Parts: sequence; structure tokens; C-alpha cells
Amino acid sequence: MKSFNNRLASIRGAGTVKIVGVIAVAAILFAFPRFVESPYALHMMILFFLSTLMGSSWNIIGGYTGQYSVGHAAYFGTGAYTTMILLTFKDIPPWYGVWAGVAAAVVVALVIGTICFRLRGPYFVLASIAVAEIIRVTALNLTDLTKGAEGILLTDIPPFMIGDTILTDFSSKVPYYYISLVLALLMILVTWLVQNSKLGYYFQAIREDQDAAHSLGINLTIWKNAALVISAVFTSLAGSFYAIFVKFIDPTTVLPLDLSVQIVLISIIGGIGTIFGPVVGALVLVPLSEMLRSNIIAQGLINSGLVSAESATGIFLKEHLAHAHVLIYGILVVIVILFMPEGVLGFFRTIVARKRKGAA
Amino acid sequence: MTFSVLLQSLVSGVLVGGVYALIGIGLTIIFGVMRVINFGHGDIMMVGMYMTYFLFTLAGVDPFVSILATMPLMFLFGAILQKIFINRILGSLPQNQILLTIGLGLIMSNSAMLAFTSDYKILTTSYSSSSFNLAGISISQPLLISFLITCFITAALYWFLMMTDTGQAIRATAQDREAAQLMGINVKWMSILSFGIGAAMAGTAGALISPTYYIFPQVGSAFTLKAFVITVLGGMGSIVGATIGGVIIGVVESVAAVAISSDWKDVVVFTIFLLVLLIKPSGLMGKSHM
Amino acid sequence: MLRKIVLAAAITVLSLPGASYAAKVKIGFINTITGAEAPIGENLTNGVTMAIEDLRKKGIEVDLVKEDDTGKPEKSLAAFEKLATRDNVAGVVGPYTSACSSAVASQADKYKVPLLVPAAAKEEITRKGYKYVFRLNAPADVYSSVLMDAILTLDKPKTIAYIYESTDFGSSTVKTAKEYAKKLGIKEVADEKYQKGAPDFRSTLTKIKSKNPDIVFMVSYVVDAITLMRQSKEIGLSPKAYLGGGAGFTTAQFLAQKEISNLVMASTQWTDDVNWPGAPDFAKRYTAKFKKEPTYHAACAYEAMMIMAETASKNAGDRDKTRNGLKAGKWNGIMGEVSFADYDGFTNQNKHQMLVQQVQNGRYETVFPKKFATKPPVYPFKWK
Repeated sequence: MKSFNNRLASIRGAGTVKIVGVIAVAAILFAFPRFVESPYALHMMILFFLSTLMGSSWNIIGGYTGQYSVGHAAYFGTGAYTTMILLTFKDIPPWYGVWAGVAAAVVVALVIGTICFRLRGPYFVLASIAVAEIIRVTALNLTDLTKGAEGILLTDIPPFMIGDTILTDFSSKVPYYYISLVLALLMILVTWLVQNSKLGYYFQAIREDQDAAHSLGINLTIWKNAALVISAVFTSLAGSFYAIFVKFIDPTTVLPLDLSVQIVLISIIGGIGTIFGPVVGALVLVPLSEMLRSNIIAQGLINSGLVSAESATGIFLKEHLAHAHVLIYGILVVIVILFMPEGVLGFFRTIVARKRKGAA
Repeated sequence: MTFSVLLQSLVSGVLVGGVYALIGIGLTIIFGVMRVINFGHGDIMMVGMYMTYFLFTLAGVDPFVSILATMPLMFLFGAILQKIFINRILGSLPQNQILLTIGLGLIMSNSAMLAFTSDYKILTTSYSSSSFNLAGISISQPLLISFLITCFITAALYWFLMMTDTGQAIRATAQDREAAQLMGINVKWMSILSFGIGAAMAGTAGALISPTYYIFPQVGSAFTLKAFVITVLGGMGSIVGATIGGVIIGVVESVAAVAISSDWKDVVVFTIFLLVLLIKPSGLMGKSHM
Repeated sequence: MLRKIVLAAAITVLSLPGASYAAKVKIGFINTITGAEAPIGENLTNGVTMAIEDLRKKGIEVDLVKEDDTGKPEKSLAAFEKLATRDNVAGVVGPYTSACSSAVASQADKYKVPLLVPAAAKEEITRKGYKYVFRLNAPADVYSSVLMDAILTLDKPKTIAYIYESTDFGSSTVKTAKEYAKKLGIKEVADEKYQKGAPDFRSTLTKIKSKNPDIVFMVSYVVDAITLMRQSKEIGLSPKAYLGGGAGFTTAQFLAQKEISNLVMASTQWTDDVNWPGAPDFAKRYTAKFKKEPTYHAACAYEAMMIMAETASKNAGDRDKTRNGLKAGKWNGIMGEVSFADYDGFTNQNKHQMLVQQVQNGRYETVFPKKFATKPPVYPFKWK
């Protein structure tokens, strides 16, 4: 009871500023498409929300519960494939298909959980990779169901209607923007709820010391699976959204090991086990990888006249920097790990805390 | 499936498994001593492959001879990686260790891409596609040679770990880091040594596979996954285990391809991997130390 | 007020790039420069680089905006959107992979930006009726049909075995090959899919050998072709013909493996000795510039960029006019005659004549169809 009161107090106290902040940011984000019509900008925002959603989903099982799954592509792909298969072969609109995808992901999660949660530490990591790979190869081989390596290409999405009123026909980016925004906010809310409930207490107890948690009467199997299911549900939603958004899926885009690693990266770079860590991670990684990918820095330097396009430096920037972007990405990952072991968010928190201490 | 087909796939499975074993041994030593899963292991192997390639094309050194140079160079490379990067995160959270090795892998493969372009490089020796016939079974010459070299290296490494003082110190570190430190073993130095040995093994595997395979910057990732499977199968930290694990995976892949089908063979491999994890998580060779 | 500021800022940002080069024609190029598909993507980059130089000689200055999609559809979409709305390009050449092209194609119609796909093989890309999507290369089904046609002029084979990579390209090529073989009454004795990059095919090949097929049909997009042929020789698999669908069997590296490449036939979009205008010359200049021989991807990308830039420049960068120009135009360059037609369910698809080439005495010779052939085909196959 006391801890509950403490928690309430913490929400009322320091939390108020945060809650107001979140609501304000959310309001700005909801208004954003009214001011910015550039589809490119909206596309980047959608990728940012999607990354937030994926990173936060992983955060529940990886960050709060301490089970480092490197096989989350399995849930992403399950969601994407279920929705796409139902839509293209059975004409079931995605807003129903998504829930079938969620159900499928829950089943997959429980199967994986039952198998993998008996293992700990590195063994769990490797088992999660193995299961995801089995699912990928299966999707590749069940050609009757998934069209195998050819992938599923979607031409049209049926308009979303209530009664006879067409709410949206998905022809612009705006509906995608709002769907992904709502999903990301929902995920943040869920994370907050988890953190401030008994559930979060169980999860974190398991993360800190499994044996101690067990001796306190916490049922490891049940709570680990609960965390995984929550995580899988939202990862599956992310996968379904991706499928409808990109309109093309194949096993190498929605089920690879690369994707699993990407999901983990978002969370760890931002800072795991915190509500906003994955948000920060997505905020760092999405623009960064886009800037590096599209070589905006080099183009900007050239366009601004600082570097001539014909000069050796200009040619180097234009021709070679584009090839180097994954390298730069890798270097940044290493820097973050070596110098910000608690992620970007944790790093700044430490700095702020130090300053406060200094001031006091 | 006739008997000769089965026999053929058994033989080629064993021979390919030899090279797999070497990759697995490298990973298992690193894991055994540091408890770090090295996601960049395949990329280290890739570095070894490029080394072999350039020694061959620029200096005309035969790939099998070149391991005399690649092995020490890769040892140095691994030791430097450990000294500069991995040693800093030994005590930190496991997810950070994973991420660091992923980052290092990305740096390695993309530096290779910048330096050598992403072209496929093919190393053609006079014996790249030679084989001889033994009772109706064809045996690849380069594969047989690399298998024998693997056996020799494994035996030498085993001797080193069992019989020398340094080897025993490494084993002690693997068993219990803190106790080893208390006993006056320089644990950091042992870690550098083991990562060096691990990298040298991966590099050698790269050299051995070069005459029959091809080389490109992203070649590593497929082998990283394979190395994980082998290491777990044999028992993390067990050299004998990794050797057996490598051969088993080679054989399973090969036999599954003919007995079931080549598109499902990876599922067979991963299922066996999971079964071993569940039934005997410590791997085939039991205890989780060398 | 806020809206105005944002708008003004947006306009400034949008008008920055390219403002000083009014005379240039701005073309986007989406390619896979990094990631697993990068080795082939590099050929496309080189082809486009050559095209830009040649266009300059013709008096057409191209302001090229290069975008890397890393082989991922969502990044390809981002690249396309950037090109369409921020860079305001007249047209786009790319993307390289089928997955990325599939994702981007629908957007081309949405933004009304002409998209010329240079080398992606997936049939569906030009089967969806998109007005602004054009494709230069022949789709996956032709890779297999041209090979079968070539074999039928030589023999009536009875059995066929397939071994192919488990990618989109591999499975769609073999799918059409199977349909075609069935029609011709050729019996399938083996169907083996493999994971791209596998180091060991010996057991699979032994299994195929035990079935003793007349024809072995292989699809490999990369250097697996070399591994496959090396190991086939090792175990002594000798059919009457080795047929290779696609890139892996048409590279200079494959050719250099003299022991194993001799007499293998492969379908290709382009060869360097074909009598299409400028093809041998392109090959010569390319080899001199990049120190390696061009693949058909390079030729496809080169020609796609030539066609797109010329059309766009003729129409002063107007997207709709460029689109109509592509639709109405006819070209005859290093890829032979090009025009974008609607047929058999395809829209804006160049009915490209694919070629069959065979390695003879350490050289690629074009052996089919007859009117482009430099040498007659050698049949049956025999190990060197």
C-alpha cells in the first residue's frame, strides 16, 4: 500500500510536468499534418512512429523484464503476413486482419515463450534467434500460403468505411500518419501503465534477479510470458501497419535477423527500461539513418556553396559518403555503447543530475 | 535415396563440417573466457578471407600456405579489438556487449566495402574444383586439405590449453573470472589472448574456405549464425564440443538436403539446435567451460 | 500565421537545391549501394555514371540525385518521395531490386513521376497497369523461355532437373520454366531450392546425378553459380546441357573459371558482342574505366538513364510530357530496339529480346536467337 502511495505521489509530483509535456507534444504531433503537407516529411514521421512502436514493444520484454529477445522479427512478420494474406487472398479488410495478426502473434509468442523461457542469458538470446529463423524459412517455403520468396504485392486497400461514409481511402500519407501516431502513443501509454502497476514490479523483479523473484513467489513462466505477449501484440501491430503502408512484403523484408537487431538497437540506443528511451532511440536513429542514406549532409554542403561540386572534396562527399553511411552508423553504435552505456536518454539524465548536484 | 548418395553426402558433410568447426572453436573460446556472444564473428572471418585473397593475388601465396601469415595477423587484429573495445565492457550489461559486437561487425564489413568495393572476389587456385574418386565417392581436394589442417590446428590448440601454463590460466579464467584474478592471473591479458586466438581461428577458417567459396564484404553474417549453432550444440566454451558440433552441423545440412529437401535443411538445423538447448542446455560436451 | 511561417520555411528549403542550374535536367536514381544487394547494385551505379558522361557529350547536362535504398522497400519509398516532392526530379531511374521496385511503383502513379525500372525482374511490376511505370529489361519469365527455346532448336530433351536460389528471382524464373517444360512434355525429375550463399551443394547435386537428367536448369543471381558448377564437376554430374538463368552465369568471374564454365548456356539481357548499336564500344569503354567487364545490369542502367534523360531534356523536365515521350518513343541503342508497349497484361513493358550466350573456348558467344548469334551453339555438354 505504501509503495502504491509512493507511486501515486511520484505521478502527482514530478510526473505532472511530464504528463503535461507529453500531452503538449502529442497535440503538436496531431496538428502537424495541417501545417506540413510534404509527403516526404510525413513519411519520415511515420517511420519515426513505427520505430518508436517497435522499440517500445521490445522494451517491455527486453528492457523491463530483462529477456533479450533477438527474434522480434518473428512477431513483426507474423502480423504483416497474417494481415496481407487475409487481405489479398480472402479480401478481408486490414482493420479486421490486424486483429487476426495480433492473435497469431500471441500464439507464436506463447509457443516461443514456452520453448525459450526455460533458458537464460545468452542461451535465451540464441534460442530467440533460432525460432525467428525457423519462421522465416518456413514462410519462404510455404509458397501456397505466403507466395514464398516472391512476396505479396498489394495494389489497393479497400476504403475504410463506417456505414456508407468513407472515412479514408488511404490515398495520402495522412491516415497512415495518424494510425502510426496513435499506435505509438498507445504503446507509450501501455509502457507507462506497465511501469506503474504490479505487472511492472514483477517484470523488473525478474530482470534484477530471477531466482530472488522466484523465491518471492513470482511465477517466472507466467510473467515472462505475459511480458512477451504484450511485446508481441504491439510488434505484430507494427508489422501489420508496415505491410499496409509499404504494400509489399517478402520474407527478407519482414522476417530477417537484421530486423530483429534493428528493433533491439532502437531501444538500447535510447535507453532500456524507461518509458521514453525507445522514443529517444527512434528520434536519434530514424533521422540519422535517413540523413546518412540520402547524403543530405554532402548535398547541403555543396548546395550552400561551401564546397564546390566539382572539387575533389565535393566529388568525394557526393560519391563516397553515400557508401559510408552504414559505417558511420556502426561507429555511432560503438560510441554510444562505450560512452553512453545507459543509452542516450540515460546519458543526458546523468549529465542533468550531475549539474543539479553541482548547483546544490 | 540410394546408399551411395547417402554416403556421398555424409563424406562431404564431414569435410565441410571441419571448416565450420574452426569458426565455432573461435567463437567458443571467446564466449568461454569473456561470456560475450560475438555477433561480429563472421565479419572477423571475412577480414581473414580478404587477407588470404590479397596474399594470393598480390603475392601469389597459396591460400593453405597463407594461414602461416593470416593466423598471426588475425591474432593481432583480435587482440587489438579486445584491448581497445571489448575489455571496456566486460562487466557491463549483456545487451550492451551484444550491441558492441554488432557495431564492430558493421564497421568491419562496411570498411571492407569502402576499401575493396562490394564486388564478389573469387580466388581460383589450380585445385579449386579438383577431386578424386574413392569407391564411387568423390572427395574434394581443397576440402580434404582444409579438413586435415583443421584437425591439426584443433589438436594443437587443445594441447596448448591443456598442457601449457598460459593455456591453464585461460581455462581458469573461463571457469571463474574472479577466482582466477584472486589467484594472480592477469585476467585482462587472458581475455586479450583468447580474443586473439578466437579471431585467428575465424580468420583461418576464412582462409581455408576461400579456395572453394567467394568473398564479399557481407559474407560474414551467414557464418555468424552458423557459428552460434555450432557453439551451443557443442557446449559454450568447449573446444572438443565445437569440433564435434561443426561436423554434426555439416553432416546434418548435407544429409537433410538429400533426405528431406534442400529448402528445409535450415529448419532441421535450427530445430536440432533448439532441442539441444532444451534437453541439454550445456551442450553435447557437458560443462560450460573448456 | 504559424502556417505562413512553416510554408515560407518549406518553400525556402524546397527551392534551395538545383535553383542555380535551370538548364540542367534533374533525374533521380534509386539504387542499392549498401547492404546485401550492393555487389550487383554497383554495376548499375557504374552504368549510370557512364550514361551521365555520354549525355554530357550529347549536350545534355544531368543533375543526378543518387539515392541509396539499402535494399529495403521502406527506404526506397522514402527515397522516391524525397525525389518526387523535395528534389522535384523530372523522372526516376531505379530501384534495382524487385522488392523495392514493387513498393515504389504505385507511388510513381500517385505523384505522376515517370519511373523507369532498369533491371528488376518481377513480372508484377508492370502488370498492375501503372501509367507512369516503365520497364526496360525483360521480366523473369523470359529468362527461362528463351533458354528452352534455344534448347528446342538442338534436341528434344526428356528430363529436366531444377536447382535454384530461394529468392524471388529464383522461384519466379523456375516457376515459368516448369510451366513451359510441362507444355513441351519434358519430365521434371528434381526440384531443389537452396539458400543463397550456401557453401555446399554436393549432396543435392549427388541426388540430382542419381536421377540422370538430360538438362540441369540452374538459377543463381550471384557467384553461387561458380560454387554450383565447381561442385557439379567434382561429383561428375554430366547432363546434355547446363542452363543458367540470370546473372550468376553471365559474369566475367564465371567466365574466368575456365575449367567449369565451358559450354554452359545462360540467358541474359545483354552481351558485349551483340550487334546492337554501340554495345561492343560500351563494353570497351566500361572495362577501361572501371577495370572490369560490364554485366547486363550495367548496360540496362546505362540505357535506362540515356532514355530517361534524353526524353526528360526534350520535354524540358515536364513530368507528364516526359511520361508521354517515353510511351511514344522508340530507341535503338546498346540494348537493341526499345519501345514501351502494352501486351499480355503488361503495361509500358519493353518487349526486350533476351539472348542466350554460351561459353566457348574461354569466351562468351551469343548463340541464340540466330540473328544475333556470333557462333552456333555447341551441344551436348561435355566437361573440359
